[in-house]
Formats: sequence, structure tokens, C-alpha cells
Amino acid sequence: MTLINHDSKLSEIIVHDPSTITVLDRFGITLGVGDARVIDTCHEKDIDVDFFITILNTYINEDYFPQEILASFNVAKLVDYLSKTNSYYERNVLPNIERHFAFLLSKSPLANNNLVLMRQFFDEVKGELLQRIKNDCDSWFPEIMSNEQQTSLSVKTVIRDIENDCTDPIEDKIDDLINMLIMHLKGDYDHNLGYAVIVAIFSLKKDIKQNNRIRNRILRPISQALSHTNA
Amino acid sequence: MPSIKVIILTLDTLKAVGLRCILERSFGIEAMVGDNNYFATLITNGEPNLFFVDTHLLMSHLNFFLPRKSKTIVLSGGFNQIEDFDLIDITSSEQEITSRLNKLLKQEEKKEEKSMTTTLSQREIEVLKLVAMGHINKEIAQELNISINTVLSHRKNLTSKLGIKSVSGLTFYAMMNGIV
Repeated sequence: MTLINHDSKLSEIIVHDPSTITVLDRFGITLGVGDARVIDTCHEKDIDVDFFITILNTYINEDYFPQEILASFNVAKLVDYLSKTNSYYERNVLPNIERHFAFLLSKSPLANNNLVLMRQFFDEVKGELLQRIKNDCDSWFPEIMSNEQQTSLSVKTVIRDIENDCTDPIEDKIDDLINMLIMHLKGDYDHNLGYAVIVAIFSLKKDIKQNNRIRNRILRPISQALSHTNA
Repeated sequence: MPSIKVIILTLDTLKAVGLRCILERSFGIEAMVGDNNYFATLITNGEPNLFFVDTHLLMSHLNFFLPRKSKTIVLSGGFNQIEDFDLIDITSSEQEITSRLNKLLKQEEKKEEKSMTTTLSQREIEVLKLVAMGHINKEIAQELNISINTVLSHRKNLTSKLGIKSVSGLTFYAMMNGIV
């Protein structure tokens, strides 16, 4: 798909990539979008249209990552978006995977011990993700907002400090879990329920991967720069 | 083959005794026999590798057997066609039944072999075991009397073959395959 712009229709964006429904939801846009254009809906809902378009394009296109544009947005907007992303993981994605896993286990023979172990591995990943969300909510995000209010630092000045992608342990473990299911699942199980678990985990993987770029390559350097300025 | 755990589920005593006798005499397998009450004791007894079940118990416990399709063999009366389940025609001769059993048990044996970690070398399995036990690379090198570079090379191969990067992922894999 070509890059989304002011005149793109929301319905076409969703049809092209249904996973964008969850991103739109973070901006308060739910299904039933009619044939509205991006700019109309953003005006109606008082959404910063450029921020909205940048986030959507970043989410849809893996190769699209406009660092300077993203870093030029108000820090509060980035923090708010990532907070809503965290909330989406906590309230929707993780319980959804848990439901699928529970259903799969309940319909599988007791002897399929490797499914039980995969579920335990998922619990470990979930625990780490929830811990990160708690840390964001309790300390990292409030600290960024507090530092931002005390400084006149131009966020553009921190771009040069942005590091390349570093590996994220949670992303790595989600990849491991997906590979375990794809490569090493054995024994009897309900195939349809197995696919449902994999699709749900893939959806989490895509979301985390795309949003980790904003988190690690934009917000983290900004946060470090703000801390140094206020030190 | 004798390590395979087998249960015969039927309400027909003669059918159960006959099949148990063939399994023991021709394949050295000591099969258990059960009836309707078996399903209540499943949790305490653990699941077998193979179920031989007559059509009556199959149909009355279809929800139980459907997810266990690949390990269920139906004792059919010749004309019954039960889709997707392996069948043994109990009206055929003893020789034919034995031959059919031989084929089905070999299939089960192959499944067991396939589930083993055959793609890993012995050394890689040793490294995986130590990783899963919480050893760091230096300790693994000392334990196996190899260089750290060799340990790193084995770990790279493990990740490449298994598609698993993290230590806890490797640990769960090792548990799933009885390596630890």
C-alpha cells in the first residue's frame, strides 16, 4: 500500500491491513468508519492528523521509520500513544492469547505435555511484558513527562544520539514461542485451536515490533537527553 | 516396541482377551483393558500411546477420541467406515489382524522417533542441557573441556536449528524433549 495521507479513506486502510483496527482504537476510532477520510475523522475527534498519519504509516510499513518527524512531535503525544499501546496489550492481547491457549489445552489430550510447557513459557513472557508495562506506568513515563516540563530542550537535538535497533528480550522470547509452536509442536491437539493461538501471538509480535521502534529509537533517546539536561 | 503403553477399550470380553493375547504374543506388548469406567480414571492413570476402541465406545465418547485421532485404532466389524480413524477389521483372519497391527504399531514407532531431537548432534544436546541447567558459556566450556568459541559455535547452531534464541526458550525446549 502506498503511504497513508490526509485524503486516505479509513475503510481502505483497514481493508488493506485489518490489524490497523487496534491502532485506530488507540486514537478512539472504532469500526463503522463509513467512507470518511483521515483528515475528516481527525478533525472530528480532535486528533493531531500528522501524528496519526505518521504512527499508522510506521505501523503498516516495516521500512518506513521517519525518525526526525517522530521526534518532532510533542513528547506527551508519544507517551500517551505508548501508554494506550501498553493498555491494549494488558487488557486485550494477553487475555486473548490466554483464552486461546486455555481452550487449546482443554481440548487436547492430557498427555500433550509440550503444550503445557509452551503455555508456561507464554506465562513467563507475559510476566515480563506486564512488568515492563508497570515500570513504564509507575516510573519511566512519569519521569519523562516531569523532565520534559522542566526543560526547553529541542527534541530534534537528540536525534544524532539515536542508536540502532537493539535486541529486545521480550521480542526475542515471543519469536521463540512462535518458533516452538511452528517447529516443535507435536502430539495430538486441535489444529484449529492451535492456529488460533499462533495467530494471536503473531498479532502481539507485530504490534510489539513496530512500537518498540518508537519506544527504543525515539522515546528512549529523548528520555536520556532530558535526564542529562536536568541532571 | 514393548515401551508403548496400550489400552483396549471394549465392552466385549472376548474381543479384549483376543486382542490382548495377539499383542502380547506377537509384539511383546502388555495391553491394559478398560470399559466405560476407564474415562473417569484417565487423570490418575495417565494417557497411553495407543487406544484400541470398539465402535460403540468410540461413538459414545467421540469428543474424547476426536482430538486423539492419531493415536486411536477402531476395532471395526468389517463394514463400518469411520472417517479419518485407523481401523482393524476384527472379522478378518488372525494372520491379517497381526499383519495390520504390525503396520499400525510401526507407524506409532516412527511417530515416537520423529519426536526425538534427531536434528541435534550429541555435543549440541550436551551444550543445550548445560544451558538449560543455568550454566554460563565459561562453565560449559570447562565442563565439556572445549573452548568458549566452540561453545559459542554450538549455541549458534542450536539457535539456527531450533529457531530458539533465549535461554529460557532453550530451557523449555530441553524440558519438552526430556533433555533435562
